[in-house]
Amino acid sequence: MATPLPSPLGTPKDEFLAQVRRSLGRPAAAESTEPAEPYYRLTEDAAELERQGAAAQQRREQEQTGLVDRLAETAQLRGWQVFRAPNPEEAIGYVALLATAQGVTQAVRSAQEVFTGLPLDAALENLGIPTITVAQDETHSRAGLREQIIRSGLGLTGADYAVAETGSVVVMPRRGLSRLVSLVPPIHVALVRPQDVVASLDDLFLLRRLEYHRNGGDMGSYLNFITGPSRTADIEQQLVVGVHGPKEVHLILLG
Amino acid sequence: MAEVKTQEFVAASGAAMQNPTLRRALRQVGTGFNGARLEAIDEVGPQLWEEWREEAQRIKRHTIDHLDYYLEMLHDNVTKAGGQVHFARDAAEANGIVAELARTRQVKLATKSKSMVSEELDLNQALEGIGVEVFETDLGEYIIQLAGETPSHLVAPALHKTKEQVAELFNDQLGVPLTDDIEEMARTAREALRQKFLQADLGISGANFLVAETGTLVIITNEGNGRLCTSAPRLHIGITGMEKVIPSVQDLALFLRLLPRSATGQRLTSYVSMVSGPRRSDDEDGPEEFHLVLVDNGRSKLLADPDLRESLYCIRCGACLNICPVYQKIGGHAYGWVYPGPIGAIVSPTLVGLKQAKDLPQASSLCGACREACPVKINIPRMLLHLRHKLAESQDPEEKSTSAMDSLAARGYTWLMNNPSALTALGKLGRAAQQPLAGKGKIEKLPLPLVSQWTKTRDLPLLPQRTFREIWAQELGQAGSSIASPTSRDTESRDAGSGG
Repeated sequence: MATPLPSPLGTPKDEFLAQVRRSLGRPAAAESTEPAEPYYRLTEDAAELERQGAAAQQRREQEQTGLVDRLAETAQLRGWQVFRAPNPEEAIGYVALLATAQGVTQAVRSAQEVFTGLPLDAALENLGIPTITVAQDETHSRAGLREQIIRSGLGLTGADYAVAETGSVVVMPRRGLSRLVSLVPPIHVALVRPQDVVASLDDLFLLRRLEYHRNGGDMGSYLNFITGPSRTADIEQQLVVGVHGPKEVHLILLG
Repeated sequence: MAEVKTQEFVAASGAAMQNPTLRRALRQVGTGFNGARLEAIDEVGPQLWEEWREEAQRIKRHTIDHLDYYLEMLHDNVTKAGGQVHFARDAAEANGIVAELARTRQVKLATKSKSMVSEELDLNQALEGIGVEVFETDLGEYIIQLAGETPSHLVAPALHKTKEQVAELFNDQLGVPLTDDIEEMARTAREALRQKFLQADLGISGANFLVAETGTLVIITNEGNGRLCTSAPRLHIGITGMEKVIPSVQDLALFLRLLPRSATGQRLTSYVSMVSGPRRSDDEDGPEEFHLVLVDNGRSKLLADPDLRESLYCIRCGACLNICPVYQKIGGHAYGWVYPGPIGAIVSPTLVGLKQAKDLPQASSLCGACREACPVKINIPRMLLHLRHKLAESQDPEEKSTSAMDSLAARGYTWLMNNPSALTALGKLGRAAQQPLAGKGKIEKLPLPLVSQWTKTRDLPLLPQRTFREIWAQELGQAGSSIASPTSRDTESRDAGSGG
């Protein structure tokens, strides 16, 4: 990793903020002090945040069936092809059929918990479709991984969250979960478990914020909402599906 | 900084209205995105939508009123996440920072996702100046880069182009066959840019929001190019205006509901990406370095003016453009700088200089549609009036927007309104004088030398036979107390009369 610059470029922070303070009609030399009427969201203490988080978590568990139904409905409206798989066999069957029908010659998947105990790789292998797993080890270089992803016609991921309100799958790239698996191959398949689903954007960001503070202030480097296929309306405001991201996205609801 | 042509507004808007291709390209502005926006709001329900807008304005007002505090918090948290923050006073400094980062990190190729701030700075030119190849990757931006043009809309930069023009451009620049299939055009862009994404050393993005609490940059996109720019290259530079900061990550729930609906009518865009620093050491991929460049470039002047500060609440959705009767007719380029439409008519005069942009605040009928469309309830018409007032009162002759004749007319009007007998006399004179012109029930041409300008593009209604004062004196005034009586025989006709 390259080392950061020893000091930032441009105008020094204090000088820049002094100008902002002057524009706000405050003494330029003052420290940036907390607003006299602090913003309500940043004032709760850790216990209050935990309490709210627990309530959201409880809602999530109590309403699970309803949330999954709602997710299925919204996701379809946002352009996902939704498949409800009552058991793992049907999920594997769906992926196998899809890969064959689309002439996929290689698939790539992330190393997420959802794939544990799901004999998906073997099923695809049987059809002559090798499946690469994103799992960094000594023999697996970053450049090599990227090449493998580019060569794949199908990318499979789990979901860190799914949002019923918006029909979104949320992925948080990290070890075992590449940023590119859900992006570069022309088809993306996301496997969602009932316990991944949250009701709303409010609940999602509350839970993320709670995690952030629990982790001593680390969000993880990246978080992505995926809501349907890649699309554009940049020419004559006409919708075209599939530009730089996947043209086809499938949401498999497990259980 | 991007070239300023705001001083040519009058000629440019006239030319735009005469351009048949542009007129064709603009024909869907009022119905396309705007129609979808109204549908999306309808689904939410007007009352809840109104609550969202008010909450959004409260958050923005609070943040902008304490911008120093939240910028400091943002700086600290980006740094904590392993990124580096650079502050740029103006365009030259911002471009210099990016160029220096590119130079010291041996960048040869950069891919960019859409950023209006980089257009404001003319960042591409600065990078090309030091030998970096820059590729715009948003389809609309790619089109205008190939055409050597500037964006004409905040959300859809190539809105001014018809598909035939895009087909010709691709044929000419990329050597692909002509087509009228938009899907084919998108495929062309995908194929042309795929290798660039993977070869690029540097990815540049703007930001829709910056979360102070977590040091997170948020971009809201549809095509996937934004994700590629922030995932594939070894270096990511986010560059944006300092007003984009919001306090908490929880505020995003609200802004993610408001922005896509207001911009394109989407309930949510295909992608929302949140970047918090560079990749962690055990991440599979992602940039090794993350830099955030925060740009002032005149924004502190908007901040300092209590009458214009509100313009910094803008989340660049473009709803005010889509609904504006002026933008619908002339498109974005006539405004002469990066930010077109009603919001542009407010920020441009401050960012490029009032003198250069003195015609922009006039480019509005003050119908108020922009204010109603704005997801953060920015009172655009009020600020347009404020700028007009400033221009009218200016002591600088180059800045002053009003001619001696305008001032004389305004003084004359004031005097007339303060002298009822003179007004009555002038009314009588007018009614007598309009007789020869009254052919079609309207006046199409005033024969007087100065006021004839006014009827060049408008018809003037005829003065009525009796003034309101006369009607009042002769009929209504006499009716006295009986006016409230519903049993009175002529209540109905009286009500109709007083409603006029």
